Amino acid sequence: MTSDDSALLIVAHGSTVNPASSAPTLAHTTEIRRRKVFADVGCAFWKEEPSLRDALFLFDSQSVREVYVVPNFISEGYFTQTVVPRELGLKGRTTKRSDGQIWKYCEPVGNHPLMTDLLLRRAHQIAAGIPESETSLLIVAHGTDLNENSAAAAKREAEKIRSLGKYAAVLNVYMEEPPLVSDWRKLTKTRNVVVVPFFISDGLHSYEDIPALLGIANQLSARLRSAGRHTARQANSSHAARGEIFRHNPYAIDNRSLSYAPSIGTDPGVADIIIEQAANFDAES
Amino acid sequence: MPNSIERVLQAALAAPFYFGQILIQKTSTGGFVLSHRDDEGRNDLQTFRSTEDAIDIAKYDDAGNYRPLKTAPNLRRGWRLELATLAELKCALDYFYSGRLDVFVAWKSGQLHTTPLRQTLDRQSGMYRIAAKISDEQADRVVGDFCRSDGGCLRTILWKRDTRGTVSSTKLPSEKFDPDFDQAAARAPSSACAEATADKTTAATIPLLCQEACNLLIAECRKVVKGE
Repeated sequence: MTSDDSALLIVAHGSTVNPASSAPTLAHTTEIRRRKVFADVGCAFWKEEPSLRDALFLFDSQSVREVYVVPNFISEGYFTQTVVPRELGLKGRTTKRSDGQIWKYCEPVGNHPLMTDLLLRRAHQIAAGIPESETSLLIVAHGTDLNENSAAAAKREAEKIRSLGKYAAVLNVYMEEPPLVSDWRKLTKTRNVVVVPFFISDGLHSYEDIPALLGIANQLSARLRSAGRHTARQANSSHAARGEIFRHNPYAIDNRSLSYAPSIGTDPGVADIIIEQAANFDAES
Repeated sequence: MPNSIERVLQAALAAPFYFGQILIQKTSTGGFVLSHRDDEGRNDLQTFRSTEDAIDIAKYDDAGNYRPLKTAPNLRRGWRLELATLAELKCALDYFYSGRLDVFVAWKSGQLHTTPLRQTLDRQSGMYRIAAKISDEQADRVVGDFCRSDGGCLRTILWKRDTRGTVSSTKLPSEKFDPDFDQAAARAPSSACAEATADKTTAATIPLLCQEACNLLIAECRKVVKGE
């Protein structure tokens, strides 16, 4: 991989209703572009612009010989195995275009071993000063995703962190299948609980659904009302208030101390993983 | 060395030019000023100076609603973006209208491939597979409504309905398929816009070209088939 004739394309899902969906991918793109690791860096989305089909025209074949395609997805599944290859016209791991440009299809971000370090770092940051040996760490995934493997990926990460023996307990929990995140009181025994969503971006799940399942959404509304900052309805509807749920840690609930992190994909460290996935492509070839 | 997009921009910058709803002007010091084309002449604009500010400006319309289609004619007003270099200008324009400069350069160099709507529909899988069942009449109507420049999308359509070369919609005027036509001028002018018309700059236009039906249009086709 050389920087003078190699480009990076980060592909992600995006959303037609949630502006936070593409925000991490745009931020990682900007950061990697700033580092000048590649001659050119672009991103493309299934649901936003530029589209995956637009991406076919993003890199000048005169100056860019190789394009590393890194899916900003938490796991392999329908999008990485069906939609992205189809829309980009990829024939396998390596595709040679009619103009001679080589496209290299890399592993998704969530598959990289560094994700474990990122989860550990985020859990530590969100509950700074709280002893990990007296804390249960919950990794939350969606569960029951159609042909997605995010539940298995969350389980794998929980097992890896558990084996380190740092936390009193490490659990993989899900929104829609057991073990349910809403059962966190029964599933954990420690006073301190740290919850990290294993998603690529923030959105309705991390802003509203998981807080409701944890029982901290009502607490936030009450705090905002008592501070005279917003009514609950205003808090839910304003764009700025959507990240408010992460700014009131730790939550005191049922004699427990619960700390809730933004989705792991919003961590700036994902930019390093994207670069690593591109480098790994050649290392594994 | 400037890349192919920067060379295109350099050529266009001989005079002020429009890119969608944006007016791009060169300053006497070699920098660039971007604004909403309907805000020309206003001196009460909020000034921004970072390329990344373009992401936030483009994200919501004047009513605060998220803009899933950046080429919809609802770019918010009231801002002015000052940039120092050609590279910054390229980056900011890409945040406003992602991928459109690349597609324009591909078109100029004869490298742009267009894909008929039927091929795009037939390629879909999962929840969008059903969209391929849309009839020609339904597709004609959906494209005519969803892609119209006055309220739908400012792109110039280059794709056909099918491989026989059928026009993508008979409901759209012929200018909708003409890269030389300024699609943003096709809008019904608002009163504010009409007032400002007398002082308007005469500017060239870089078109927002559409080489293939977007995911939003495919989603509309799906809705029609499902009767939603």
